[in-house]
Amino acid sequence: MSQRNHLGEFEEIVLLTVGILYDDAYGLAITDEIEQRTNRKVTLSSVHKTLMRLEQKGYLYSHMGGATEERGGRKKRLFTITNSGKDALREAKQLRNALWQAVPRVVWERGNI
Amino acid sequence: MGDKSSYHPHPPSWATNFLRWYCRSELVDEVEGDLYELFQRRVEAKGLRRARLLYWLNVLMFFHPDYIRRRKEFYSPNYLAMLRHTILLTFRSFQRYKSTFFINLVGLSSGLACTLLIYLWVTDELAMDKFHERDAQLYQVMQHRVQGGELVTSTWVPGLTAQTLVEEMPEVEYAAPGFGLDQYTLSLGDKDVKAVGQYVGVDFFKLFSFPLQQGDSSQVLADKSAIVISETLALNLFGTTENVVGKTIEWQHEEEYQITGIFADPPRNSSMQFDFVLSFKIFLDENGWATRWATSWPETYVLLKPGADVHALNEKIADLITRKTNDEVAHRTLFVTPYSKNYLYGNYENGQQAGGRIDYVRLFSVIAVFILLIACINFMNLSTARASRRLKEVGVKKAIGARRSALAFQYLGESTLMAMLSLAVAVLLVQLLLPQFNEITGKQLYLPTNASLAISFLAVTLFTGLMAGSYPALYLSGFNPAKVLKGALNTSVGELWTRKGLVVLQFTLSIILIVSVFVVYKQIEFVQNKNLGYDKDNILYFDRVDWEEGNLETFLAEARKIPGILSASSMGHDMTGHIAATYGVEWPGKDPDDRTEFEMMPVSYDMLELLGVEMKEGRTFSRAFSTDSAKIIFNEAAIEHIGFTDPIGKTVVWGNETLEILGVVKDFHFESLHEQVKPMMFWLSPQRTWSVAVKINAGEEPETIAQLQSLFQTFYPGFPFDYKFLDQEYQSMYAAEQRVSTLSKYFAGIAVIISCLGLFGLAAFTAERRLKEIGIRKVLGSGNWNIVYLLSGDFTKMVLMAILIALPISYFMAQRWLEGFAYQTTIPWWIFVLAGLLALLIAWFTVGLQTVKAARVNPTVCLKDE
Repeated sequence: MSQRNHLGEFEEIVLLTVGILYDDAYGLAITDEIEQRTNRKVTLSSVHKTLMRLEQKGYLYSHMGGATEERGGRKKRLFTITNSGKDALREAKQLRNALWQAVPRVVWERGNI
Repeated sequence: MGDKSSYHPHPPSWATNFLRWYCRSELVDEVEGDLYELFQRRVEAKGLRRARLLYWLNVLMFFHPDYIRRRKEFYSPNYLAMLRHTILLTFRSFQRYKSTFFINLVGLSSGLACTLLIYLWVTDELAMDKFHERDAQLYQVMQHRVQGGELVTSTWVPGLTAQTLVEEMPEVEYAAPGFGLDQYTLSLGDKDVKAVGQYVGVDFFKLFSFPLQQGDSSQVLADKSAIVISETLALNLFGTTENVVGKTIEWQHEEEYQITGIFADPPRNSSMQFDFVLSFKIFLDENGWATRWATSWPETYVLLKPGADVHALNEKIADLITRKTNDEVAHRTLFVTPYSKNYLYGNYENGQQAGGRIDYVRLFSVIAVFILLIACINFMNLSTARASRRLKEVGVKKAIGARRSALAFQYLGESTLMAMLSLAVAVLLVQLLLPQFNEITGKQLYLPTNASLAISFLAVTLFTGLMAGSYPALYLSGFNPAKVLKGALNTSVGELWTRKGLVVLQFTLSIILIVSVFVVYKQIEFVQNKNLGYDKDNILYFDRVDWEEGNLETFLAEARKIPGILSASSMGHDMTGHIAATYGVEWPGKDPDDRTEFEMMPVSYDMLELLGVEMKEGRTFSRAFSTDSAKIIFNEAAIEHIGFTDPIGKTVVWGNETLEILGVVKDFHFESLHEQVKPMMFWLSPQRTWSVAVKINAGEEPETIAQLQSLFQTFYPGFPFDYKFLDQEYQSMYAAEQRVSTLSKYFAGIAVIISCLGLFGLAAFTAERRLKEIGIRKVLGSGNWNIVYLLSGDFTKMVLMAILIALPISYFMAQRWLEGFAYQTTIPWWIFVLAGLLALLIAWFTVGLQTVKAARVNPTVCLKDE
């Protein structure tokens, strides 16, 4: 179903951030990265929920990483983008590009209203 | 663990524990780790307090269906289905065993209803007079007096007690006397209203919490012309409570008083009920003698200062009367007792507190427990009996894989559901029965909707349900399914004994209640029909309203002319209790320390004849002898006390007068039969009588009363004609006993019925279980009656055992109760035989219904299968 494969805006951001962080993409790091890059407040739990949803959709793959001292000995769940995740991102980007190109140039060149 | 060089504060452990509790196990590690990291970072950035708070917030934000672990990890997946199954089975078993269901429902709900009613009554009694704000400091002054070598206790004390206590005792903050609580006529213009009032001390409203709606508690009674009325009285008189203060109303068509305040009607749980109060000063001014320390009239209430030492106060006031009378009156001692305690603990025996209404509270509490116990025993017996029938069900369930806990839950659920259903029926019953119950108890009880009542009754019901269900739940569920299904299990001997023991206990309690009913009834009958020494029938009396000398005689003379009136006279007594007594009668040889009091009875001519009192010696007052007003008549008890052997013509001195003894009357009971007959004296003084008595020809009451009323109205216009019958008033002396008699009759009846219901159920069950045995016996030639005998033998033994246990106990209890009466009925032996026989007959009848049915069964029907 195309509906289900559709990426939400926040989902897209999370998915891209997982890509940015590459081999250290876990809940809190992703949250931090999003906060820094987008300059908006996101809560840990909403990021977590999105990550779980994306994993359910098959866009993410996760495995448990090593426990570190700064986490009080708890393991972290590390996320990587799966192939279908990459496809979804590409599709989203292409869709956007297509939309961009469909906008007549005149729109951009006319002065400000 | 870990790096000890740098300190890491811990996140709030409660929050972490909460997270670990709810979070799915595969997610908990990463979430906890993330939160931990975040927490450490926040501690540095924002400080520990904020970090902890935010940590909590984060934990709560993860509390989301995606993260909450599913309960199926712990419970079998068909948990809900099991519950539905249990409930379904419960209703099915109700349907299948209808008789058991109804026996349980009827028994348990009527038991619970009785308990609920008694609970309401008991809580109401216990709350009596406790509503006063300063209840803990509120005391009543009481008086012991030595009378015939014993201490007699009363609430009447000298008129100046209140005033003196406030002045001389630092412990006392306020004190107020109260006197003359009675019905009076109040009028506003032409409107006459009967209202209950009393004379009270100035500080009355500071002691008691009868809130003043208008007026100031320290001002309202400051003036002698003041009257303070209740809200209802104000509405009755004026139709409003607005602008009532300041108006004047007439009292007894004699005196005008100005309303200075309005108080809220005394609440139902106040033992003191009144519509208006007048200043005590009026009473003292009009009755100079009331200030004498040798006489005792008003009741006196005191408010002690917080933390006052009551024992020390009691020691100080004990000899107050002795000191005030310069040792003249040394046989009276004062003491204080908590005011609200007096209602329940009002009886004294030789100076010692000896119960009072609390006895009845205790009695009925015990009855309530008895009845509930009987109902519970039914329930338990029937459910254990039925449980053995469900062995197969247990076996099959266990074989399929039901856990023991699930089975236990099923049985407990079943019995609890039953108990809850009964509670619902019981509440309905109580609602239905409350009006009648209120009539019997003379209260205005209602079913309150408060949490404490609901909780306590739910608790009782739950307990009942769990008790009854515990046996099958714990015992049956533990069986080995293979054995159960093979049928290798027999009912244990212990179980049989328990069941029999419970039946015996049930019947013991029932028989005790039956005997009690008999004994109470006998004593009441004895009291009602005892020859009191005077004839109380057809005597009507009313309070005298006119105190002009001579008027009373004219009225009496007119009254005698009414055809239906046999005799008319007046007296200074009401024949239903102690009124006034004196120890001032002197005779030669009297012990100077003798303070025995003689009950005083001033009379008009014909009074003793009217009462039908018999003379032992001498004669009564007669118009034929003009000197009779200087003579005196005693009762036998008085002469015995004085010690005259040939009393007629001898003289005694009373006050300043020397009085010649004119006659001796036989003892008659002028107090309740709880009391011995005390010395009494009669003298001719129409002016000091206050109660007009009229003897009416039996059968002509209505016409005669109508004529008397019109005569009364012509003589005393404006006064309502308010009369009483002596025999009715006499009976009302035993109101408490009457109540106990009526209530115990009902409760005993209910107890017997519930017991029989249980027996009926058990008998039916036994007959059913032994159906095959009966069939075989019949095939072998046993007759119907043999079978009946076989089946009822067991029950007969149980009931006989109960009789053996119950009779000595009930005999002992009856003796204890009768000891409270000075004149007691004898308990005839046949009462016990009758009670035992009754129990046996009822049991036989109950069991017989079932056994006869069982005995007549066709053996081919019950033997054809298996």
